[in-house]
Amino acid sequence: MKHAIVDLKHVSKIYQQGEVQVKAVDNIDLQIQQGDFAVLCGPSGSGKTSILNLIGGLDAATSGDVILENTNLATLSNAKLSDVRKNRIGFVFQAYNLIPVMTAYENASFVLELQGVEKSEQHQRVMQTLQEVGLKGLENRRPDQMSGGQQQRVAIARAIVTQPAIVLADEPTANVDSHTAESLLDLMQKLNEQQGITFLFSTHDQHVIDRAKRVIHIKDGQIESDELKA
Amino acid sequence: MNIATFAARNIIRNSHRTLVTSLAMAFACAMMIMFATLMEGLVAGSERSIVAMNTGDIQIHRFGYRDNPDIYDVVEHASALAAHIREAGFNVTERQFAFGLMASDDSASGVQLRGVDLEFENSVTELDQHIQKGQWLATSDPHGVVIGKKLARLLDVQLNDELVFVGQTADGFMANDTFYIRGILKSVSANIDNAAVFMSNQMLRELIALPDDAHELVIMRQDNQDLNEATQQIQMIASDYEVLSWPKLLPVIYQFLETAHVQTLIMMLFTYIAVGSVVLNAMLMSVFERIHEFGVMKAVGVGPWQLIKLIYAEMMIQVVIASVIGVIVGGTASLYFQQYGIDLSTIADDFSFAGLALDSIWYALITLESIVMPVVFLVVIAVIAVIYPAAKVAMLKPIDAIHHV
Repeated sequence: MKHAIVDLKHVSKIYQQGEVQVKAVDNIDLQIQQGDFAVLCGPSGSGKTSILNLIGGLDAATSGDVILENTNLATLSNAKLSDVRKNRIGFVFQAYNLIPVMTAYENASFVLELQGVEKSEQHQRVMQTLQEVGLKGLENRRPDQMSGGQQQRVAIARAIVTQPAIVLADEPTANVDSHTAESLLDLMQKLNEQQGITFLFSTHDQHVIDRAKRVIHIKDGQIESDELKA
Repeated sequence: MNIATFAARNIIRNSHRTLVTSLAMAFACAMMIMFATLMEGLVAGSERSIVAMNTGDIQIHRFGYRDNPDIYDVVEHASALAAHIREAGFNVTERQFAFGLMASDDSASGVQLRGVDLEFENSVTELDQHIQKGQWLATSDPHGVVIGKKLARLLDVQLNDELVFVGQTADGFMANDTFYIRGILKSVSANIDNAAVFMSNQMLRELIALPDDAHELVIMRQDNQDLNEATQQIQMIASDYEVLSWPKLLPVIYQFLETAHVQTLIMMLFTYIAVGSVVLNAMLMSVFERIHEFGVMKAVGVGPWQLIKLIYAEMMIQVVIASVIGVIVGGTASLYFQQYGIDLSTIADDFSFAGLALDSIWYALITLESIVMPVVFLVVIAVIAVIYPAAKVAMLKPIDAIHHV
């Protein structure tokens, strides 16, 4: 039986821009279940990325509770939040955000190193993950020696190698061509179906929306609709 | 990847900046090593000039003589006292002084006759090796004298020229005699250079009728003996007289030498503050251009302390590179200056401070402290300079940093 990995209860996020208050997230309730392949979609400025940031512990809610695996993130110190991000969350960013001085292998093993995983286990997990994302043989390439699609695959490898509770992917296909976007989606779909990895996307790319099992429409910081596909 | 490798790769990313920063630190380190070794050399050379050229470690006078050098204020039975001190393990020599007028063919000048014990003077001072022209005094040549270099210029005399002295004896009569210049000294001190006429104390005793007394006893302790301890020991032997160590005899010079290390530290501080601003600027640039990257690192779970360690590791690699270059360049230059010195005679003939003549060739002296201190200072200043950029990185909010452009 599936259980909720993420539970947002009456969550709001208000940004102060000069003297104006901007309500990016407006009193939403949302649960993300284990194994979900869900998409937050909506127009620019609708609050998709803000919701991802709140779930990822990158930002704090103005009100309400963000609960990740039964832990209310608001109760955690910065150090504990850092541990949660390191151990339980995988991030995939629009601009790949790999560390430029590290090879594909080193980028993928970086978080494992932070976790203190033994070298031999690191090696085994990283090599296996790089193979899964289709980067076998490219382990020693640095980001500037790889295409955008390959870099995003490294980012996916970095996100999943730690076996996180959830992978948060912010516009993961925005910087790649449609062919590469399809192959990245194939990859993430395969990881979701075969390994049960939970994905939550923020996107307005129709390719991603079409592939999602669950589509959550966001508008003006509120959930407009939440559809489960057959 | 360990933090050192990660840091090394980061600093290689902007190799020009790393090179400029490291070279600035290396240049300052090398300069400070040279400055420190030259100051050590100045202090050691000055001490040698003070102690070995004239003053010795300790001197004995009659109370009041130094303030008002009267021919009658003598250390009585000086030879017996000197023998007693010699038995206690010290090197000691007696000196007699008299004032008068010395005339050459063309000129005349007030002089101080300095009678030295030719048997023992060279066991206490190195005056006999400090001859610019001619030779030191000899017992076989009682009318031979050695004079200061400025006095020779003043009297317009050369070696073997004749001098006529007119003065006063200790018993109240007129003293006069003829002397021949056998040697001219290199610069020793303002007093000696301008007015000293050295002769055997036997000759001077006869000239001023002062048979067994002396105006000054000069003592040199054994190499490893503590100066204060030695002074106390001499004071016990010569309890009726004023016994002073050279720092008390020449307090201004002693203070200058004592504060030489402080001067070096102050110089280092100012130089390194300038270097610190270079390091701060370089590290700030390095941090600001990577804020987005630090944000991503924080997002994936890198803690603030790990980022601080990374920033410090990047700085330390540059400091190590700079220190190695600085020590090699500064050490090599110091080694050269220790061997050959800096010849200041092209700037001026004589250099003096507080009446003490300094050698016109300025030698460096390499000590462990003079090499280690500039490196330690460099590390300390760099560590301080990086506090702000490191703290800035540590306090970055990942959400703000990720969206930083």
